[in-house]
Parts: sequence; structure tokens; C-alpha cells
Amino acid sequence: MVTEQALFPNTFGMELIYSFVIIFCSLIIYFSTKEIYKLSNYPGIKYFREAFLFFALAYFFKSFISFLFLIFNVRGIIEFSSIFFGVLTLFFFIYASTMAIFYLLYSIVWKNLKENLRESKFTIPLIHIFVLVISATSIIVHETGVVILLQVFVFLFIAIQNYSSYRKLKSKKKSSSIHLIYLFLFVFWMLNLSDLLIVGFGPIIELVVSLASIGIFLVILYKVTRYAGINEYGKA
Amino acid sequence: MAKRDKLEIIRDILRIIKDNHGHIKMTPLLRKSNLSSRRFADYKSELLGRKLIKEVEAKKKGKEILITEKGMEFLDKYRAIVNFVSEFDL
Repeated sequence: MVTEQALFPNTFGMELIYSFVIIFCSLIIYFSTKEIYKLSNYPGIKYFREAFLFFALAYFFKSFISFLFLIFNVRGIIEFSSIFFGVLTLFFFIYASTMAIFYLLYSIVWKNLKENLRESKFTIPLIHIFVLVISATSIIVHETGVVILLQVFVFLFIAIQNYSSYRKLKSKKKSSSIHLIYLFLFVFWMLNLSDLLIVGFGPIIELVVSLASIGIFLVILYKVTRYAGINEYGKA
Repeated sequence: MAKRDKLEIIRDILRIIKDNHGHIKMTPLLRKSNLSSRRFADYKSELLGRKLIKEVEAKKKGKEILITEKGMEFLDKYRAIVNFVSEFDL
């Protein structure tokens, strides 16, 4: 413990740098895909962009929560919930993070949905309302377990959908590493969430989770800039 | 022949116009696009709405379709769009 404190005297500083890198990557992904979306009007690109916009928002609120933890020196959601501003921030964090994961999943599965469901103007707003209700409920009942359970449920659903999309792609004799990257993204996202809502993992584990998450976002950013920035003849 | 997806059909329509010096009458465009009249009308109104094409009075008689700058940009970026969609399985 003493060693850890000596190695990491300022975890909040680390947290801020980590959040800044993730927010930066997410916003670059969001804005660098703006042009191809405006040209193609392709729904999958729209959902993909929305996912990273919500990731940026979620990490913004996450760092803001950490900042409040530092200011009020508390580590537990019950004590923390007495602070109105903290509750509001936590609510937006849960909402934004769940929506980010939903949009990323939806960007893969939307084309497999029935036409009336995917063309319906109510599908996305209903998901927003559902996630808002779940986020508000978990805050009101002071139950972090609800959030974690929801995330585990979403994660299992994503893992199954991800695997099914991967199988479909394989049957078409196409290959892409994106499903594996997404799976890692969701795993590390859940670790981030558990760290924030249940217990502090300790600086070393936090550092490993943070570096791995940054690595995943950088890989996605690299792929986005590589594929969104070439013309018809394959030149940069 | 494999069924064309929406992006491919848009690319084909725009390419036909581009290859015809940037403007074409409706009937040859409909014929060359290999679409039914109904589907062609849907695509035409979508492309007009997205400002990828525009409809103008022809010099002699009737109307003709012109590819816009945005339409040319779509053709230029088509490969990037398709590669992006394929890579992220969107």
C-alpha cells in the first residue's frame, strides 16, 4: 500500500489524463466520421458516431465524479448521493455510458432487425426513455447493484450479438477484428464502472484498466482515421 | 448477379450521370440504372433531397438530371464509405 502510494501519489491526476485521452479519441472519431456520414446518410455510421459522442460524455462525467470524490473525500455511493450535484452527475454518467454501449451494439445489429422495427421513429426514443428510467431508478433506490446488473445483462447480450455478427461475417468469407476489439472495450468498460461504483481497485489495477482502455480507444481511432480518410482510388 | 445494396445503387446512378458529362435525361437514366420505375422514383427523390443531384429544364425540351458537387464528392469518397462500413460491420 505504501509502495502504491509512493508510486501513485496523485491518482486523480492520472484519472484526469486518462479521461482526457478517451474524450479526445472519442471526439476525434465523432468528428472525423462526420463527412462520410453527411455524404452517405448511412444509419450504421450514424449509430457508430452517436456511440462515441456518448462515450465522450460518459468519460466527462466520470472524471467529474472523481473530482467530486476528491473534493468531498468519500468513496461510496450512499454517502455521495447526499450531494445533489454528485447525484446528478452520476445519473448522467450511468445514462451516457449505457447509451454509448447501446449505440455501439445497435450500429452492428440494426441491419439484422425487421424493417418495421429499424425504420420506426419510436425505437431509439424508447431506448432513451428506458435507459433514463433505469438510471433514475438506480439512483433513487441507492442501488449500484441495479446498474451493475443492467451492465452485465447488456454485456451478455452484446457478447451474443457480437459473436453472431462475427459468424455471419465469417460465413461471407470476410474478416474483421472489430468484434474482438468491441468485446475488449465492453469488458474494460465494465471494469471501469465497477471501479467507480463498487470499490476502488487500487492504483495498480486502475492503471492497468486505464491503459488497456486507452489502448482500445487508440486502436479504434487508428482504424477510423485509416478507413474514413481514403478516396475512391485508395489513396490517402 | 448479387443484389445491390442502397449505397451501390446510389453510386451507380451518380456514375451514370457523371459518365454522361454530368447530365442526363430521365428516360435513359431510368433504363441504365436497372431499377423499376417505382424504385427509381424513390431513389430520385432521395437523391434530390440529399442534394446529390438536381433537376433542371433541358436546353431543348423536358427535364434533365445533373450531378451536383456533393454527388461528385460521394463518388470520390464511395470506396472509403464502403470500406468503413465493412471494417466496422455497420
